[in-house]
Amino acid sequence: MKLSSSMAYGSSAEMMFGFARKPVETKQGLTIGGGYVIPEIVPHPRPGSEKTIKTLLREFERANFDALERCVMVGHPHLVVENEHVYQMTANPGWGGEIAAQSVRQTLEFKDKYGLKSAYRSTIADIRKPDMVNLRDSEPTSKVLESFNECAKYSDIISIESLGGKEISDYSLIRNDITGLLFAQAVLGGRDMEWLWSQIVKIAKKHDCIAGGDTDCAQANTAMFMAGGFLSKDIPHTLAALSRAISAGRTLVAYECGATGPGKDCAYENPVIKAITGVPISAEGKTSACAHPDLCGNVMGAVCDLWSNEAVEYNNMFGGSTSAVFAEMLGYDTAAMNSAISLGYQKEYQACLVNSDRYRGPHGFMLCPDNAWLIGKAVVDNNESMYTRARAAADKCGKLMLGDPLLRMTAFEKESLLSYMKEMQSLPDKEEDFIDLCLSKYGKVKGFKPASYGL
Amino acid sequence: MSRLAIAMDIGTSGLRAQALDLSSRDIISTVITTRHPLPGANVIDHIHFALEIGLETANRIIIQAVNRIILELHINTEKVVRLAVCGNPIQLSLFQGIEIRDLAFAGKRKLESLGVVSPEREAVITATRNIPGLNLPAGCDVIIPPSVCHEIGADSLAMIIQTGMLEKDETSLATDYGTNAEMALLHQGRVFTGSTAAGPALEGQQISCGMLAVPGAVSDLNSDISCQRLIVLDSEMIPAEGPLVDMSDGSVIDAGSGVRPIGITGTGTLAIVLQAMESGLILLPCIRTMDSRLHLTGDIFFTEDDLMNAGKAIGSVRAGHITLCREAGIGLDDIRTAYMSGASGTYVDPVKAQKLGMVPPRVKTVFQVGNTSLSMARDLVFDLSKLDLMSSLADKLREHHCLFAASDTFKKVFILELSYWTEGMPISMYRKFLKKYGFPDLPPPGATPEIVHTVKRDIDDLGRMGLTIIPDIGGKVRATMEGCTACMNCVEECPENAITIIQEADSAAVTLDQSLCSGVACRRCERVCPHKCFDLSRFFCITSEELATPWE
Amino acid sequence: MKHSPNSSRIFTRYDINIEVARPKIRDISEDKLLQKVADCVVKGDEEAIESAVKEALKTRSPLKVTNEGLIAGMKEVSRLWDEGIYFLPQVILSSDTMIAGIDLCEDKMGKAVKKKPKVVTHTAEGDIHDIGQVIVNALLNAAGFDVINLGADVPVDEVVEACKLHNPVMLTGTALMTTTMTAFPKIAEKLKELGLNIPFVCGGGAVSEEYVTSFDLGIWGKEASQAPGMAEDALNGLSWWEMRTKWNG
Repeated sequence: MKLSSSMAYGSSAEMMFGFARKPVETKQGLTIGGGYVIPEIVPHPRPGSEKTIKTLLREFERANFDALERCVMVGHPHLVVENEHVYQMTANPGWGGEIAAQSVRQTLEFKDKYGLKSAYRSTIADIRKPDMVNLRDSEPTSKVLESFNECAKYSDIISIESLGGKEISDYSLIRNDITGLLFAQAVLGGRDMEWLWSQIVKIAKKHDCIAGGDTDCAQANTAMFMAGGFLSKDIPHTLAALSRAISAGRTLVAYECGATGPGKDCAYENPVIKAITGVPISAEGKTSACAHPDLCGNVMGAVCDLWSNEAVEYNNMFGGSTSAVFAEMLGYDTAAMNSAISLGYQKEYQACLVNSDRYRGPHGFMLCPDNAWLIGKAVVDNNESMYTRARAAADKCGKLMLGDPLLRMTAFEKESLLSYMKEMQSLPDKEEDFIDLCLSKYGKVKGFKPASYGL
Repeated sequence: MSRLAIAMDIGTSGLRAQALDLSSRDIISTVITTRHPLPGANVIDHIHFALEIGLETANRIIIQAVNRIILELHINTEKVVRLAVCGNPIQLSLFQGIEIRDLAFAGKRKLESLGVVSPEREAVITATRNIPGLNLPAGCDVIIPPSVCHEIGADSLAMIIQTGMLEKDETSLATDYGTNAEMALLHQGRVFTGSTAAGPALEGQQISCGMLAVPGAVSDLNSDISCQRLIVLDSEMIPAEGPLVDMSDGSVIDAGSGVRPIGITGTGTLAIVLQAMESGLILLPCIRTMDSRLHLTGDIFFTEDDLMNAGKAIGSVRAGHITLCREAGIGLDDIRTAYMSGASGTYVDPVKAQKLGMVPPRVKTVFQVGNTSLSMARDLVFDLSKLDLMSSLADKLREHHCLFAASDTFKKVFILELSYWTEGMPISMYRKFLKKYGFPDLPPPGATPEIVHTVKRDIDDLGRMGLTIIPDIGGKVRATMEGCTACMNCVEECPENAITIIQEADSAAVTLDQSLCSGVACRRCERVCPHKCFDLSRFFCITSEELATPWE
Repeated sequence: MKHSPNSSRIFTRYDINIEVARPKIRDISEDKLLQKVADCVVKGDEEAIESAVKEALKTRSPLKVTNEGLIAGMKEVSRLWDEGIYFLPQVILSSDTMIAGIDLCEDKMGKAVKKKPKVVTHTAEGDIHDIGQVIVNALLNAAGFDVINLGADVPVDEVVEACKLHNPVMLTGTALMTTTMTAFPKIAEKLKELGLNIPFVCGGGAVSEEYVTSFDLGIWGKEASQAPGMAEDALNGLSWWEMRTKWNG
């Protein structure tokens, strides 16, 4: 696999929501990244419904139907429906397939009946637990691959939130250990993704399905959530930002293996990915408050192509089911963006989104298009290895944060950041040396198996 | 016919005794108890018991325990001609059955109002017949060494003599790391002593999963890359490699030599605090794990309250050291040699203890000397002239004893310690305050000192018949409480699970394990009784014939 | 891209605001002389307090110096401690400094400054371990209470007499040794006989919650740091029973 060496955009000024350098067209004629932003609704089944395939089919049938119906009710022109697998849907690959088949049928019915253009994404659950099994050779591994096969038969898009490296990143995170995060996310995560995604892309091709993308949700989002809002003090926001910068090089591997986008919604690293690859991306922010609080609720919309709610449990609200309500909200969000495009105000609208969150916190800051582009540039300019590009990205991210006086940090966060920067400087330059160092340092962490990563 | 002798240390957390052959000077057998026979966890509890229930009862319980220990030594008691006991003033007074109220109240006003006259507590050689109830031949000599004052007794004299510190011309410090940490600083021929109520954390008590040093106890931790190797005492009480664990969640990486840990000793507590501070899992005063606890294995954990108790204990020792240095007009860094005694002082890793501040920062040599009280008692039975040595040393020590509770220096430093351990005050501010007060500075530890183990374990030579451990030294006493309906409230309320009730035909028999009982300061059993018929004193004001389970 | 020059209507950095507000010692008085007095208290400057107070007393009334300089400064110390910026030794130092200042003002006035609600504190008869009491005194002083410090080894009757004389809002007792804590129920009994239902907070060393809540008036103090909050409750008229319900169990 060749590591990316160039940027898809000459500068961040060229990046805009709704426009991707390499748009992706779905079977029903939706062009993702083709000049407009599309809402992506993600309903989640209620606990208990996963007990049998029958109850699960019924749950998704209702949830997906409600979203599609609401789009028609209020006049939203397009929609992507994503179903993230609960454990049982991947552990029984047939279940995921049946649900995908049913959901695609639903989207076609709405197309036939009302002309609503929609697409369906299956996100397979990574049921390989890194601390329990060999990621490359285990029963769960074969279920995951089998599941991709089943879903690709019907779905428009397939994706996954892969877990490679999580056993080390969890360990490192509570210890504020940047070296461990680099090793877990870049070296281990990157290797696992290369192994996994080369197979996913083949499966997608076989079934004429779109290989969407991945996310470092398991690691960078864990860091982001633990850093929390302005009241949490356990993990510095600056560490979460560095973890995000590191995650870019990891998630990039999917596209280097041949994935085409749209990327996964919860990959907050996606602006960097888009800057490097030009693939369309999904993003989430204010309208995913149903799933978690966020310090970058608007800025995440600045360069998105799909706009998602992350996940909302299927339940009733005054305004209808959650699935319907969130589809409506996402649709209005994107309608405003598309109006801006249509009026030629997209630059101004993007400036509004960016200014909302640029200095709200480190995460919002580094994911502004200009900074995301610069971090992407550090990734491609240091492409000797997955490690070197991740370290360069983290270093760039740290320097950007320290270099802009308008980004204010608490003393704790700044001190922490300076110490991470110092620690990264002291690390070896070559990936082999870094791996040797980490194998001796983390070799005994519970459940860590170098064989999972071909080490 | 060979003549035998018994050396005994009456410690607050348990008794230890050895049978000796006077002609060959061999050690025959060793017995230790895992608890003190009196209710309660510290000397104040013991003395409180004697005040409320009666000195005679307390004395009788101790003598019964001594008799049981003598029995377990498995020697022909007819041949015993000498018994030497060593211990702190309270334990020795309880053994002798003499006035203790002067030890119970430190305040003079209270003592005056009670009209208490302090006994001299000088060295005594008496005959067994003068100690009622003692199961030894009537003519056997009982040797009782002198005390210095109410805080410093024969155990401290033993520490000073047995370490050999007096024979060297250097500034040195000896500390017995126990519930009451006694310490002696030698500088230019003068000895400064003090005693601090460190609390039982250094003995592994008042710690959630704490315990005394017994087989299975975690006595140390060694950092192994990112994890901790537990050091666990094996059946011979020798530290062995236990499991390798990740303290943040208690996951076991490998099982080690297979000794299963069951609890944490005082030294283990210190090691946990240090290793977690060094790895960032503790940022005073917080434990930075998901559940604010450290985990040694699935069921052994360490809480923030434990951290606070350990911190106060460590802090009171360091405050004592600083206070003695100020008394002597020297700096902590002037101390060249440190002697560590007591069970904790023997098993603790001196380098770790030094990093935590329990050993002066710039010492060149650390001696770990074991249980000096027992070895002193041993020397006494072999050589009666040692008693004179102790008496003359006692006189000398009275000149420079520092009563920490009344010392302004100690109070100020201890508040700095409290602030450091429980409020997270930085050490830099600690030092700034020392400077402001004009107290000795607290520099960080220097080069690693040379460590000299004078013993391999707490009691070095167990004798040819080996060690016997008595886990149940307290008597189990049965009593019938009139009006008791066996509602079991007292059984459930008892924090130490010391009470059992057996429902009989028309009444209920209540049984109490005396040594498990927390003592008269607790009395939760009495307060919870709905019929107000539970009377704790009933279990103690009886004769030994009523024991539910007579000792075999 | 344009960047907004002002973000105050866009977002609020509460994290930074909290931090910025913290280390800053707030100005206490616009009056320079009184500010200097307060500064001495906040910094715990026992050497400078005398000259600062004397200077202020030349032109200001003792009552004003006390209330707007010394006590106001101590209030700031209390805030800094509450927020975890100041540590115990600093509070004690400031408290000592304030008391030294108040003594000077009282000398000038020729009588005690009638200032604040009283709390009587003592360490039990027979006990000389009074570190806990030292901390309680400092924290109560910081919180604006007039601490009647009876010291250590105080006989039962002396405590009862002091309560009769001062009629405090709260009484505290400290004991390290379980042998000495038996004085507490005796004190409580005598106070009740006199009809003085003063909340009696007992704590320290071996004093357990079960023990203290076994007699009337008793409230168990787990940490010295609870003393100001408890005194505040007592001042607000909570009975010993209400306080026990709130703080214990």
